[in-house]
Amino acid sequence: MSEKSNFTPPINKEEALNRIGGEEDFLNELLDIYREEFEKRYAELEKAIAEGNFQRIREAGHSIKGASANLSLPALREAAYEMEMAGKNEDLDVAQKTLKKLKMEFERLQNFLGYKS
Amino acid sequence: MKKIKNSASSKNNLPILIAEDDPVAARLLEKKLKEWDYSIYRAENGEKAWELLRRPELRIAILDWMMPGIEGPELCFRLRQMKKSHYTYLILLTAKDTSFDIIQGLEAGADDYMTKPVNFLELKARLQTAQRIIELEDSLLQAQKKLIRLATTDPLTHAWNRRAIIKFISEETNRYQREGRPFGLLMIDLDNFKLINDTYGHQSGDQVLKKMVTIFKNNLRNYDRIGRYGGDELIILLPACNVYQTGTVAAHLLNLVRQNNFRIRGKTKIKVTLSIGGTASETISKINLNNLISTADRALYLAKKMGRDRVIIFGDSVNYEIMEKKNVRKK
Repeated sequence: MSEKSNFTPPINKEEALNRIGGEEDFLNELLDIYREEFEKRYAELEKAIAEGNFQRIREAGHSIKGASANLSLPALREAAYEMEMAGKNEDLDVAQKTLKKLKMEFERLQNFLGYKS
Repeated sequence: MKKIKNSASSKNNLPILIAEDDPVAARLLEKKLKEWDYSIYRAENGEKAWELLRRPELRIAILDWMMPGIEGPELCFRLRQMKKSHYTYLILLTAKDTSFDIIQGLEAGADDYMTKPVNFLELKARLQTAQRIIELEDSLLQAQKKLIRLATTDPLTHAWNRRAIIKFISEETNRYQREGRPFGLLMIDLDNFKLINDTYGHQSGDQVLKKMVTIFKNNLRNYDRIGRYGGDELIILLPACNVYQTGTVAAHLLNLVRQNNFRIRGKTKIKVTLSIGGTASETISKINLNNLISTADRALYLAKKMGRDRVIIFGDSVNYEIMEKKNVRKK
């Protein structure tokens, strides 16, 4: 019980709830939409990285960044921003590393949400 | 809080377009706007947004800057180029916040911009501004329409006023010279109008005049133009009529008025007659506004001089009386 995680939580729930008007149910609905959207974009990223399509990498990174910001997911937002930059800078190495980071952060969020609920 | 909501819902909120490819942001916006009693259109890409934006009922749009297909600023630019009949208020949403981008967005034709994630209290206030500007625009347009109507119509008869009918005749003359499509012109005078006024009062004279215009309106084509030229003088412009058709129309109007019982002061019925002078474009060799009007005027003068209640058509080549005076007033 006393085991407290010493890392920052993947979601700043208070901030997110504040932004959307305080309804927990609605936040959960948005997180469901986010999950679906993330998986779609993630698949796009995998494909774009395999093809070296930097424009698509940038766009998908940008999309995830926006959605993450709306729900106050700082780590995912940060990783998505790095992905957008990797696309812009046409840096495939960074893109590949960031893809792993995105996946890790996404799983961390899902675990966190699963643990919480 | 409740009170604010109620006051917002009592207003007539305009529908709003949300053009946003991020489903989280779109759903969030949609929920908030619905809470504030706006009805929503959604577009998840630029093409769909462009299709919806052109609809006349859409007057407010929230456009994401970066979207697949057509991006926000491009949508603003396109909409401003096409000159929609009603102004549409455009708010750009952007994750970027450097001053360069803002200027670029505003120059493309956006009215306002917000950075993401959206602060909803701010958005609510900005939408009220949008609504205010749209309402202002609408009331200006309405006022302008009303002024145009006042400046072009005769307040008594609701026929076109002198200036407006002259303008229509000029335009029709130009069209005739350009395309050769003929037109007729009738100048109509109510016989013994002064007598009606002197006998029954000016209000009765006004009533007769009004009724006469109504009879004309009901029996002419909707693109014929009726204008009040002077006190009891009316001009009728008949597009796409040659001299014979002009004469036929004139005779028809003459008979309609002859047959009508004009009710004055609610009960008294009187009969009135017309003198009509007419001309048509193809009968005048040097056509211009002055020649047309003076020709019709001379015909009218002759119709009166010959004893009223008749039609005279004049032109360079034609010169005839269409209808002899008939005594329709039986005792």
